[in-house]
Amino acid sequence: MATHGTGVAGAEPARFYGGPPTTRAGHAALATISWITTVDHKRIGILYGVSAFAFFLIGGGEALLIRLQLARPNNALVSAETYNALFTMHGTTMVFLAIMPFSAAFFNYLVPLMIGARDVAFPRLNALSYWIFLFGGLFLNASFLVGAPPDGGWFGYASLTLRQYSPGMNIDFWLLGLQVLGASSIMAGVNFIVTILNMRAPGMTLMRMPVFVWMTLTTQFLIVLAFPAVTVGLIFLMFDRFFGTHFFDVAAGGDLHLWQHLFWIFGHPEVYILILPAFGIVSEVLPTFARKPLFGAPVVIYSGILIGFFGFGVWSHHMFAAGMGPVADAAFSIATMLIAIPTGVKIFNWLATLWGGRIQPTVALHYAVGLIALFTIGGLSGIMHASPPVDQQQTDSYFIVAHMHYVLIGGSLFGLLAGFYYWWPKMTGRMLDERLGRLQFWIMFVGFNLTFFPQHYLGAIGMPRRIYTYDAGTGWAFWNLMSTVGAFGIGLGIVLLLVNALRSLRGGTVAPADPWDGRTLEWRTSSPPPAHNFDTIPPVYGRDSFWREKHGDSRGRKPAPVPATPDPHGVHMPSPSFWPIVTAAGLAIAAAGALIHIAVVGLGAVILVVGAWAFALEHHRNPAHAEQIGNLGADHRKLAIWVFLGSECMLFGLLIATYLAYKSRSVIGPHPHEILNIPLTTISTFDLLMSSLLMVLALAAVQRGDRRQARLWLLGTAFFGLVFLGFQAWEFTQFVHEGLTLQQNLFGSTFFVLTGFHGGHVTLGVALLLTLWVLERRGRLTIQDATKVEVVGLYWHFVDVVWIVIFSVVYLIP
Amino acid sequence: MSDHPSPAADAVHEHASVRTYVRVALILTLITALEVGVIYIRQLSPIVVPLLLAMSAAKFALVAMFFMHLRYDVRPLSGVFVGPLLLATGLSVALMTLTGAFLVFGR
Repeated sequence: MATHGTGVAGAEPARFYGGPPTTRAGHAALATISWITTVDHKRIGILYGVSAFAFFLIGGGEALLIRLQLARPNNALVSAETYNALFTMHGTTMVFLAIMPFSAAFFNYLVPLMIGARDVAFPRLNALSYWIFLFGGLFLNASFLVGAPPDGGWFGYASLTLRQYSPGMNIDFWLLGLQVLGASSIMAGVNFIVTILNMRAPGMTLMRMPVFVWMTLTTQFLIVLAFPAVTVGLIFLMFDRFFGTHFFDVAAGGDLHLWQHLFWIFGHPEVYILILPAFGIVSEVLPTFARKPLFGAPVVIYSGILIGFFGFGVWSHHMFAAGMGPVADAAFSIATMLIAIPTGVKIFNWLATLWGGRIQPTVALHYAVGLIALFTIGGLSGIMHASPPVDQQQTDSYFIVAHMHYVLIGGSLFGLLAGFYYWWPKMTGRMLDERLGRLQFWIMFVGFNLTFFPQHYLGAIGMPRRIYTYDAGTGWAFWNLMSTVGAFGIGLGIVLLLVNALRSLRGGTVAPADPWDGRTLEWRTSSPPPAHNFDTIPPVYGRDSFWREKHGDSRGRKPAPVPATPDPHGVHMPSPSFWPIVTAAGLAIAAAGALIHIAVVGLGAVILVVGAWAFALEHHRNPAHAEQIGNLGADHRKLAIWVFLGSECMLFGLLIATYLAYKSRSVIGPHPHEILNIPLTTISTFDLLMSSLLMVLALAAVQRGDRRQARLWLLGTAFFGLVFLGFQAWEFTQFVHEGLTLQQNLFGSTFFVLTGFHGGHVTLGVALLLTLWVLERRGRLTIQDATKVEVVGLYWHFVDVVWIVIFSVVYLIP
Repeated sequence: MSDHPSPAADAVHEHASVRTYVRVALILTLITALEVGVIYIRQLSPIVVPLLLAMSAAKFALVAMFFMHLRYDVRPLSGVFVGPLLLATGLSVALMTLTGAFLVFGR
């Protein structure tokens, strides 16, 4: 079997090291390089898991400090300012740096194995996502080292977060860090959508995919569609803080609700981003240990999709106290109650799966059942908040803290721990100690309930959240003390988990390939799997394929063995690469530069551009990358760019919506009708439309191998793009001369940010076109590279269609 | 791989001819001229906003269908773009409504 690149993870980096090492230090260096340059989805999964656990310990430490401070009345363990930073960073860390990347660890390690693939669609992009996440997390936590940790809450409400009320760097760390993390999440989201839709093994139809893979797919769509909303909000906040714009300046006509809307359009789907992976895990664990199929699996899948879809229609239930009016309150109240239906369906299906099963009470099953119980409690208190009058009583009280933790610890974390105990043997080749695990579970379970159940009561008797201390006469002292004792119980549980893991790694029982008599394809390969996952792509006989292969269907009839299909191209494994970490470092340096000096931003940008350039061209001539057609009949790269453009629709849609919402709110001029130059913009619009014509001509020329025409049309498209940018620069200059600047009024803020972002996209498009043109001039753009031209073309046409909308709604509509 | 189309499957989806591309470009130019024209016709002012939105949507669709080849490519590519596009449109309208850009309902 031909193997290109590395067949064994860790072998190839010797190429970078300069040959096989002979000393211990050399081996250590090689091992380090192998991890830094790895593009193996399993190793990246482990990196996500380890990093998430480290951040989880930091976030957990912050939680314990919060609980110690509240353990008794009038406590002075930490100051009010420190307390603000603790709850802000605890929330931010647990959401973005612990639970999400814990889920990402499972996505990375398991999804390719479960669908019978050798890796993800874009292994280097996967590595880039990880490194951006890590640097983003380190950047956020570096705020502690310079004494400026974010302290405006994980929701970052304006006006609390405006420069006027938060003058230090605290909020800057937060908004820049979240933008970096968002870039990582969207890249990973696109990658996994393409992987799942386009890289399934033969026979693995969509409805045969394991439920965990389905929940991963739903989660990735939520990520790519929800993150642009918070990105838009963060961009506005950044411009308000750094450049003096007026997005959240009430005196200039701005609306503070805009931040809340943008944040929660992201924030509520984010809840499902955190919980759906856990639902997927439980849907794998329960059937295995009940030794029967998941009850109504298609309904569980549809319910997950419905939860994801409804998740975009309920965001304003976080804002019932903001005064949206009775119609909006009623609409979001109904939508929120509706979302309980698919969630309840899942609960009943899980219970029905257990009913009549031959239960094997493993630790993984304990956690899965724990999730059902605890998430049900959190879900029920959630339905209470769906009623605006009830929500008015509960909002900003400890009742909400209890609800949220029942969902995110009782739900997400317990689900992830079920997955940890379930798949640890597959990942490490060692078994965990089940007895210690059961002890650990019960300590966690009791500790968790002792911590958070009393908080329902504390909220009900009036204890507000986010207060750093309270008086003795409030009657809150006893249950706060109990809550603190419970929190340390959770801490003890996590320590025992760590002990169990370390003991397993040092001398745990060796795990067989299929220790649980599993149902899905990952159990069909060794524990841990080889770098290429499967020697031959596994056959798929239906849902729970491996179970059917071993035990047959409900009547015990086993499927006829399907002969292995040899891969016609051999086993092609991706080579390790330094460029992901270099590119990610460039982005992190640029973000840090925003807090240090503009020169550092420049340095980061240069590293980012050089890294991205090298990244893009690294495998340009590798014939193994020429064809990437998958299950959907489309090239991976084409599918990826379309998913990305879908995400961009959200970004530009919300930018345009903000422009329209603010259009007539400027309290001083100039106003749009006084300044917009329609004849000039009509010419630039025509120019951009014609550039799209040249782009399709360029693609047609590349597809038929006409090099001269390809060069001509590519250059022509880039030229038209530059002309458009010239028009835009001239228009901006004219506006500034006429008194319209970013800072002048709300119209200036929204106009320059919207059209400026579009201009930035055009600039990137021109850079891509010129890169293709250079490659063509050097004879490195052949018919086989037509897909690359098509992908750049799709991006270019998208820039065009966005302008079509901007031209109408900004310039023409009165 | 039985479940996978042949490697050449993507190429099977023939794109439009150069003549079609040129025609589309001409139609786009024509619609753009109409867009600019209608804003100067006073009699059309009551319907100018829906008219402009309709023409903008038509141009958007033409570029997406012909230049971006959605008309010729496999259906799932349309799905992963049009779904988010509709969601973005819905959310944008809701956001404008909730921030008071439309007087559908007061606060």
